[in-house]
Amino acid sequence: MCVLCGESILRIHWTDRKQPPESAFASRTRQRERLRRIRLLNQMLGYYGLKVDDWNGVKFVVRDKKGRSEIVHDLGDLWEKAEKLAGRPLNPLDSGLLDYLNRGRRE
Amino acid sequence: MKRAVTIVTGYLGSGKTTLLTHLLKEEPGGRTAVLVNEFGEVGLDHHLLRRIDEHTRLLSGGCLCCSVREDLIRELKDLLDRSQRGELPDLERVVIETSGLADPAPILFTVMTDPVLQHHYRIEHVLATVDAVNAGLHLDRHPETKKQITAADKLVVTKTDMVTDEAREELVRELARLNPTAPIVFSDNGRTDWDLLFSQEVPIASGALAADRERPVPGPESAHSREAAHSLSVTFDRPIDWNAFGMWLSLLLHSCGENVMRVKGLLDVGERGPVLLNGVQHIIHPPEHLPAWPKQVEPRSHVVFIMKSIDPEQLMQSLEAFQHMMDAKARLTALNIIRHA
Repeated sequence: MCVLCGESILRIHWTDRKQPPESAFASRTRQRERLRRIRLLNQMLGYYGLKVDDWNGVKFVVRDKKGRSEIVHDLGDLWEKAEKLAGRPLNPLDSGLLDYLNRGRRE
Repeated sequence: MKRAVTIVTGYLGSGKTTLLTHLLKEEPGGRTAVLVNEFGEVGLDHHLLRRIDEHTRLLSGGCLCCSVREDLIRELKDLLDRSQRGELPDLERVVIETSGLADPAPILFTVMTDPVLQHHYRIEHVLATVDAVNAGLHLDRHPETKKQITAADKLVVTKTDMVTDEAREELVRELARLNPTAPIVFSDNGRTDWDLLFSQEVPIASGALAADRERPVPGPESAHSREAAHSLSVTFDRPIDWNAFGMWLSLLLHSCGENVMRVKGLLDVGERGPVLLNGVQHIIHPPEHLPAWPKQVEPRSHVVFIMKSIDPEQLMQSLEAFQHMMDAKARLTALNIIRHA
C-alpha cells in the first residue's frame, strides 16, 4: 500500500528488484539509484518532449510541454502513460530516437 | 520459503507424461503435487494428481502472453491452503503439465503476477519435451512447438532410441539454434536423471557459450531479413549500468515484447556476482543475484535474445545509441537464423 495515495502496490516491476529484499543497502543508495534513473530517462524522453521528476521518493511524474502530467509507479507504468502524453509509440529501435541519442552523445 | 513450480511443456505426444511418470517414481512422497491438463493414454499414478481445465482470461489491452490462467490460480491457491492447514505439510514443488497446444508464457505470467501466488510460489524450471522422431514435422507445422522450445530452461529430447545418431545430432543443432540458452537432456524411454533435470547450477548453457566463441557471425546479407526469427548473443565489454539496461530492455519489451520470444543472460553490474536475467516475451523473472560467477562462464555480461520480426542490426544500433548510458559497448558474438520461423 502506498502511504501517499493509498494505492495497492500488487507488483514490483522487475527493474526495481535488482537488490535482494534482505539487502542491507540503505535508503540513500536506493535514492541515488532513483535519481540516476530519472537522469537517464530524461536523456531519452527529451526526444518525445517529455520530462520525468521524482514524486516524494516513491513515484514519478511525467510531464509534457503543455503542462499535462501523469503519476507513474514504475517503468512498466511509465511507457504507457508517456505514450499517451507524447501521442505516439515509444520504441528503442526508432531511428529518430537513436539519431537524437547519438547527437546528444557527440555534443 | 516459496514453493517451486516446474512447468512441463511439449507438443502432443512428445513424451511429457512418460517423463513425468518416471520422474515421480523417483520423487520422495508428499513433496510434489502434479497439475495436468489432460489425462493422456499413459496413466499417471500419483496421489497428489489434479486435473485442471484450461481457462484463460485475457487482460484488457494485454497481449496473449500476459493473460491469466484462472484455473491455475484456483488450484495453486487450494494447494497452498491445504499446505498451510497441515494437510500437505511437506509440499515443496508443484509440477504443471501443460496441454500439448499450450503456450507456457501465460502460466509464468499468472504465477509471477497474481497478488497471492507471487509470494508463495516461484517458477523453478520450464522443461520442454521434444520428440526426436517428429520434431521437424512439429516445428514446421505447429508454431506452439517453437514457443514451447524457446520458453524452456531445459530441453528434454525423447524417443532418441528411435532415430539414428545423425538425426539426433541434427536435432540437437537445430535446438541449439532455436534456444541457445537451454541445456539439452536426453531421455531414454522416459527415464532421465532427476538431478540433471532440476539442477540449477548452469544459468546459461555453457555449451551455448562455448559454441558462441567458435561460431562465426554470419555476414550482413543473412542478417537483413526482418521477417526471420533469430537467436542473437550479445556480450558487453564492461560492467553494465543496471538502470540504463533496465530502461532499454523494459522499453523494448513494451514496444515489441511479442517479438522478443526469449531473453536470458548474466549481467555484470559491477558487483561480485552477476545478475541472472530471464524473460519470456513480456514476462521477466525477478532478476536474481548470484553470489559468484559460475566457473565455466567468462565473467562478463552476456545476453541471448530470441526474436522474430526484429532486425538484429537494428537492435545492435539501438544498443550502440544507448551505450553511453549503459557505460558498456555491446558486441554481437553469435547470430543464428531460425529456419522454423
